[in-house]
Amino acid sequence: MIKGIGEDGQEKLKKARVIIAGGGGLGSPVAMYLAAAGVGTIRIVDHDRVELSNLNRQVLHWDKDIGRPKVDSFGEKLQQLNRNIVVEPVNETISEDNISSLVRGFDLIVDAMDNLPTRYLLNRAAVDNSIPFIHGAVYGFEGRAMTVIPGKSACLRCVYRGLMPSEKFPVIGVTPAVIGCIQATEAIKYILGVGRLLTDRLLVYDGLNMKFTELTVTRDPECEHCHQISG
Amino acid sequence: MSVTIEIPSYLQTFVNNLETVEVEGDTIGACLHELAVKFPSVEEKLFTREHKLHSYIGIYINGEDAYPDELTKPVKGNDRILILYIIGGG
Repeated sequence: MIKGIGEDGQEKLKKARVIIAGGGGLGSPVAMYLAAAGVGTIRIVDHDRVELSNLNRQVLHWDKDIGRPKVDSFGEKLQQLNRNIVVEPVNETISEDNISSLVRGFDLIVDAMDNLPTRYLLNRAAVDNSIPFIHGAVYGFEGRAMTVIPGKSACLRCVYRGLMPSEKFPVIGVTPAVIGCIQATEAIKYILGVGRLLTDRLLVYDGLNMKFTELTVTRDPECEHCHQISG
Repeated sequence: MSVTIEIPSYLQTFVNNLETVEVEGDTIGACLHELAVKFPSVEEKLFTREHKLHSYIGIYINGEDAYPDELTKPVKGNDRILILYIIGGG
């Protein structure tokens, strides 16, 4: 038995409802490990179809899935991995119009997106609905991860304040695997109430030098997303 | 008084592929300015035409977020400045 889990912990995992935004490189490992851990309800949101170029990193999609909606491919594999969980595939584009209804009723939001504007939407929705938010992002051999507890710790907007002029982020497949597993670890820790979350800390992973750096971040009192809420 | 600037991979091609650069300066802004003097093509990667930091760059000093007023924050010998670009891939 692992300390902090046991039957009670497994029950907590079973009752947990997690929404994963993005069914790609980050979403694949996050979903696989949460499903395998027994997280009871996993909603996966993505509007894309599987393409050949996805297969270097989006390991829940296989060659035979090319052309299928990602959420269908995702849902099928997750359900095969664990038939005792509920998988909710949502084939939609996340937008300001639907974000609140997508996240409402969920215990945790996992950021597995491939672009910054949608990440900011998710962060805003997490803050507005007081839902913990687990950020992850990758570029090349580099990755980042951070956990946000709204009203208590720095949110993504406290740390990132702009948009890159170019929104192309090529990725080597192993990088989202590393970061996705860190996000899944954070999700499981949060659900179980164990360990020390990656709050007020931005973890920077440098795969080329195999180095992890921890940066201290703090809530921005003028943050446009979270300055009005308190813990 | 030497300060180390850690160069993100995105910028390394503009600084002869160096991972760190040693500079002299009393403030973060002075150090970044010296970096841009040594490697002129870095200037536009760091600063707007109004000589403000681009909004997609974060500056950390000895592992702590230097925001706000990053450019005027004082530094001392052996400090490490880290330039962090936003990344968004998944």
